[in-house]
Amino acid sequence: MTDDAQELIGDYKYGFHDPENSTIRFDKGLTEQVVRDISELKNEPEWMTDIRVKSYRHFVERVMPEWGNCSLLNMIDFENVTYFLRSSDKTEKSWDDVPDDIKNTFDRLGIPDAEQKWLGGVTAQYESEAVYHSIREDLEEQGVIFLDMDSGLKQYPEIVKKYFGTVIPHSDNKFSALNTAVWSGGSFLYIPKGVHVEMPVQAYFRINAKNMGQFERTLIIADEGSSVHYVEGCTAPSYSTDSLHSAVVELIAMDGAKIRYSTVQNWSSNVYNLVTKRAVAHRNATVEWVDGNIGSKLTMKYPSVLLKGEGAHAEVISVAYAGKGQHQDTGAKVHHLASNTTSNILSKSISKDGGRSSYRGLLQVTPKSTGCRSKVVCDALILDSDSRSDTYPTMEIGNSTSDLEHEASVSKVSSDQLFYLMSRGFSEEEAMGLIVNGFFEPFTRELPMEYAVELNKLLELEMEGSIG
Amino acid sequence: MMYHQMPIPSRSEHLWRYTPWSRIHPSTTDAVPDADEVVFSAVGGKTVIPRTPSMQPQGDIARAFLQAAGGSSSELSLHNESEPIHINARASGHVAVGHLHLDVKGSAVVFLHISGEPEWVGVHVTGTLHPNAHLAFGFINELDSNTKFLRCENWDIARDASLEHATLSVGGFRCKSDIRTSLNGTGSSVRQSITINADGSRHDDEHVEIHHHHGHTQSDLVMNSACGGNSHFIGTGLLTIAEGANKSDASQVFRNLLLSKKARAEAIPELEVLADDVSAAHGAASAPIDTEQLHYLMSRGLSPDEAESVIVNGFLYDAFSNITNKHLLEEMRTRLTVHLECELKR
Repeated sequence: MTDDAQELIGDYKYGFHDPENSTIRFDKGLTEQVVRDISELKNEPEWMTDIRVKSYRHFVERVMPEWGNCSLLNMIDFENVTYFLRSSDKTEKSWDDVPDDIKNTFDRLGIPDAEQKWLGGVTAQYESEAVYHSIREDLEEQGVIFLDMDSGLKQYPEIVKKYFGTVIPHSDNKFSALNTAVWSGGSFLYIPKGVHVEMPVQAYFRINAKNMGQFERTLIIADEGSSVHYVEGCTAPSYSTDSLHSAVVELIAMDGAKIRYSTVQNWSSNVYNLVTKRAVAHRNATVEWVDGNIGSKLTMKYPSVLLKGEGAHAEVISVAYAGKGQHQDTGAKVHHLASNTTSNILSKSISKDGGRSSYRGLLQVTPKSTGCRSKVVCDALILDSDSRSDTYPTMEIGNSTSDLEHEASVSKVSSDQLFYLMSRGFSEEEAMGLIVNGFFEPFTRELPMEYAVELNKLLELEMEGSIG
Repeated sequence: MMYHQMPIPSRSEHLWRYTPWSRIHPSTTDAVPDADEVVFSAVGGKTVIPRTPSMQPQGDIARAFLQAAGGSSSELSLHNESEPIHINARASGHVAVGHLHLDVKGSAVVFLHISGEPEWVGVHVTGTLHPNAHLAFGFINELDSNTKFLRCENWDIARDASLEHATLSVGGFRCKSDIRTSLNGTGSSVRQSITINADGSRHDDEHVEIHHHHGHTQSDLVMNSACGGNSHFIGTGLLTIAEGANKSDASQVFRNLLLSKKARAEAIPELEVLADDVSAAHGAASAPIDTEQLHYLMSRGLSPDEAESVIVNGFLYDAFSNITNKHLLEEMRTRLTVHLECELKR
């Protein structure tokens, strides 16, 4: 490994990689034929091939976004990306049947252990496709469908056809077009009417190969009066060349349903993480995005909620940590499309070692949506003079009956707080760690215990050497 | 860059998101009309003198357009002025453009009143505040309700100088305003208040940029808008704190009071902070009139219209509450009262 690569990896504990033992690997670069080949390989129905081809054409025509970190975006070399890589011939239901090298990877990440203890179901995706998938029997008996997206399309084509691309059309943005053209893997989750899934279901995404593109597609439908908590984790090895992760996540919460979607993204610092996440909440439904961004080179992710039914509620809690060479361009978008809808957005970010964190948000109330309420709070900490923090909030208010608030502050760690803790016997570094953990506390308390502990550990690791 | 060399800005830029350049341009975007002059005249002793128009390339399309359109170009030098100076800007005709430069040494209070009935008027005000200068500047827009108005301002504030800037925007049917202030020296400060009252189909887009280039600088922006009828108000702000500008203190507050079902308001208070030892905050709020306040006033014998007017008065007055210069505060509040009383009588 070169010194540069080692420097890039730093303390990133998931930076290991396994030898590539792929069964199918496409050549780098994207053409219409690649798109057709992916579809053919997966034996997909014709309508899906048509959607892929249409999306590919749109992707080619669509210009890059002219906002955000354009200089980093324009460095993406779409011709140097592998768009499909199959590591295992089938998705296993038993952990023992997963190929050894892949199993070792997930063992090191602690996935099977976590599943036994506290998860309702697990999907593990390695490169382009799921390699392992399981769901608790009692949930299956209640009619809960939890599959990887490819199997979902095969087994429930009518549901997928009905909802696929309805929340995020392929023409939404350049990266949603790319994802729709070459998507592979992801989760398909359907919760029948009135079923409450008590334990979280989890998906774990791992990129192992160099210059790999991972384009998972997730579709979650919570039918009337149901509830579910979906958790997603992401890691990748550290190479000196870049990888691309461009997912599309669509959530549909029917009347009275509740979906919570938690992510802790810890991609290595050579991954472009350009994700489109959007939910539709019907009457009295609740959608919650709990979004943690620790890794990646550039993240552009703005989980959004379309509050379509009266009484619907959206909650977005996000934290971002931008370290050396990182730009976390994150935020939230809530569209109040119906009356008496409410939303709450809390965003926290830390910039350190020259990192840049940006909050970019949109809060929209349409003219006919009366009695809407919303509150947005953004707090940013800057830990040294090389770092940067931005906020770009947008509020569009279309009528006089809505009550909206936005507040944001940027500051450094208070010297009073540091002094107080140090007077109680903590070293400066420990005191700083405590303050930072406390700063992120509103986020960590919303995570399942195991993730919260992991996040605190990650932050401690990132904070090491931040003093002096 | 000159106007003809400039690309038309995209709506992905927040500055042009809600009022695209094509909607504020007097005709088609490729045309530069022959502009009449906006006549600036000072009341009470001071003289506004003609100035050679600047031929410096401009960084943005609105300023480049005003430069290309020509019009009048005037200058006023101020040195420790004991009395407030009122400048009347009178515009007429099809398209009128005026450039005014203020050069301030010592302290001064200046009011710029713009009025008239042109179809389109553009004004570019520039100001240089030398070290230790203090300027209280009030801008009162009382243009005819059929006028389209483009306003650009650039303020350079040197070491230990301070600017108190107040705007009352009640005239014109489509207004685009872009005020940029650079805090170029240690200890410089700007305090800015903007009050907007929009009714009918009035469209008012106010953009404020404040750049902290040095440490120990202060800025404070309050923007209050009350929108009735079908009116549309847009407030966008960009606050930047440059690398190394430590001990800077910046705050921005945007408040919108929506008075009718069809009124609309947008707020984008942006913040870009590249220094760590700073205090920077912004807030935005939008709400209808509090029915409890209305009920209270009506229980004291006020009619619904009067009660609403009292609440709107109080809300709009409040935008000026951070002004410390008594001449500026008094004049802005008087103008606001006159405007609101006229509104109530209509």
